[in-house]
Amino acid sequence: MNFDIDEEQRNFAEHARDFFSEQAGPGTARRLLDEAGDPAPGPRVLAELGFSSLTIPEIAGGVGAELLNMALVAEQAGRQLAGPSLATAARVAVLLEGDEGRLRDVSEGRTVIAVVDGSPAGSSPSMDALSATHFLALDGEDLLLGEGRVSPGEPIDATRGLGFVELTSSEVVCRDARERWERARQVACVVLAAEGLGAADRVVELGIEHARSRETFGRPIGAYQAVKHRLVDDWVAVNQLRSLVWWAAWAADHAPEQLPLAASAAKAYCATTFETACETLIHVLGGIGFTWEHDAHLYWRRAKVDRLLLGDESEHLAAVALQSISAATRAVSGETGTTEVVPV
Amino acid sequence: MDFDDTPDQARLRDAVRQFLVDHDSELAHGDGAYLEEPGTDRVEGLRRTQAILFDAGLIGLTWPKDYGGGGGTNAQQAVVNEELHRARVAGPIGHVGLGMCGPTVLGHGSEDQKQRYIRRLLRADDLWCQLFSEPGSGSDLAALRTKAVRHDDGWHIQGQKVWTTLAQHSRYGILLARTNPEAQKHRGLTMFVVDMESPGVTVRPLRQMNGHQSFNEVFLDDVVIDDSERLGDVDDGWRVALTTLMSERMAVGGGGGELGVRSDALVAHAASRLPQLSDDRRRLTIEALGRVLVESLAARYTGYRLQTSVERGGRPGPEASAGKLTAVRVAHATADLGQRLLGDEAVLARSVEGDWRWATSQASTPGIALAGGADEILRNILGERVLGLPPDSARVAPRPTPPSESR
Repeated sequence: MNFDIDEEQRNFAEHARDFFSEQAGPGTARRLLDEAGDPAPGPRVLAELGFSSLTIPEIAGGVGAELLNMALVAEQAGRQLAGPSLATAARVAVLLEGDEGRLRDVSEGRTVIAVVDGSPAGSSPSMDALSATHFLALDGEDLLLGEGRVSPGEPIDATRGLGFVELTSSEVVCRDARERWERARQVACVVLAAEGLGAADRVVELGIEHARSRETFGRPIGAYQAVKHRLVDDWVAVNQLRSLVWWAAWAADHAPEQLPLAASAAKAYCATTFETACETLIHVLGGIGFTWEHDAHLYWRRAKVDRLLLGDESEHLAAVALQSISAATRAVSGETGTTEVVPV
Repeated sequence: MDFDDTPDQARLRDAVRQFLVDHDSELAHGDGAYLEEPGTDRVEGLRRTQAILFDAGLIGLTWPKDYGGGGGTNAQQAVVNEELHRARVAGPIGHVGLGMCGPTVLGHGSEDQKQRYIRRLLRADDLWCQLFSEPGSGSDLAALRTKAVRHDDGWHIQGQKVWTTLAQHSRYGILLARTNPEAQKHRGLTMFVVDMESPGVTVRPLRQMNGHQSFNEVFLDDVVIDDSERLGDVDDGWRVALTTLMSERMAVGGGGGELGVRSDALVAHAASRLPQLSDDRRRLTIEALGRVLVESLAARYTGYRLQTSVERGGRPGPEASAGKLTAVRVAHATADLGQRLLGDEAVLARSVEGDWRWATSQASTPGIALAGGADEILRNILGERVLGLPPDSARVAPRPTPPSESR
């Protein structure tokens, strides 16, 4: 067993880290709350650098990398609250599998595609809709691609580009697309969890920095166990989240039968970890953490929104439980020759 | 990144699997570490199990060949552990020796000590215990008061230890005692190997809240230890103890192993109980099960990452303490959900069908949260040594109270 990333991946992540610290950051997230616009670095720059086409095959103009590499980049994007989400990019790459022409348009930045959740005639708030030129949607069992009308709602986190989408024109790009739709959503969950991982990691780092230097009653507040232990618990959770994200991303390419379980585990664990880390940060910062000027609330906004996108925690926890039960039941019936299904 | 076996590992896995099938009836089985049916005392059966596994080369795989080990890799031991787990083989009775005392003797003992002790320890011919905690020093281990005074015939030990797991079955123990009461508290300690059959050693088992008697009080009344049984230098016992403590935290949960009832047992239990629940209850239970399983997966895969770094020759650092924190939390949640799944019978220590595992585990996990570093101590270690947060100045005391003034 070798459960670690390699040297090349480490360098790649380092490169992505530099890029996102220069090209994105909480400043943009704050500005977008007051004025409409594209998140940073924006869809075109992400396409130009090949980040959004990482999992698109080379033959279609992409990089042809594994999802794990996408997750490593997404972690760095998450640290800086970058947008649009690489989860959308990874999802589109799965949905358009085999469609070289359309994937090439995406790779080369000619089209910017978002995925519509809910009905194509009037969607639920869907990620990255505001900066998209085209939309993918599931209509029954058919996968549609088309243009649409987007109405933004008032955002909690403006970097997610959430909007209600109504398709105005569409064509069927794939029939019997349910399985592919589900798999694309699982892949997106992994990447969204990777972005949450990077953001949560940054949040814990900010809390630690503050707790080291801020003094009260003559001691740094990080000396108090009540503060120290909260930060430690968050740090432990972030480290565990990293394990789940890596496992899930690896499974997507190497053990696809594990992907549904692993993706749900990562997504559910991210929901709590990221949110708790943000709440700790604001609390540890004290009054400063409650101000508009401090970055803390921008991460908190992301956490509050991401935990609900692509399925909330309850949905994913139930998925983990039911898949584990059915795997165990299959293993047992395989040995005894009987089939037993747990009614739920 | 790669979870697959190498061809060698696959061969090893097949061989181990076959061995465990062939010898199934000779081995003791169980549903989880530190989990025994109330009232059972199957020490002899567990010792036999460990001996059979050792003779087959499945215990001490990574330990040096010179002392009876297999000279193998951590990766091989991980394969063996997975197969032992899969076959529900009970954890080794000599876990204190394997996890803590053995590594300490290997790290700091003389050649003669290693030759005499290690092979018998691996085979559970001798069980070992760890004589660290005292009535007046648990979390603040370095404040311990048991003293060792040097005479012509060796070191004379006077004092009392407590919470000593397996002491009543142990032939040997590693003992941390104060050799210099004048020095700063961490600097006046020395580590020894003590023969538990020596005159002056009295062991009194303590009954725990789970009904078992796995730990003990140990009274040391002028026990004489030859200087050749010292581990490490005089007054350098704290450094030796750190080897033990880090090994302990790695052994208990650090490698992604599970404590208490195994999560696959919980899944099987849930599968059989869920159809009997009402619809609303079932929905809530499924979500609760998901939460336990996600925590368990997170701990497991984090353990795999730690294993990978150890396989590459890294030493388990202070971050291994995190593994124990999370393993305890998972054990707690597993026991709680397992018990609640028993429905009306969850108020009983044993269900009508005879299921005692969850009630026993729920009464055992509070102890695991304390043993080998209480949760708060582990959080301090992580906070200060990994995260770089400042120490709590109230905890930095200059010197312990001299033993003479303390009674």
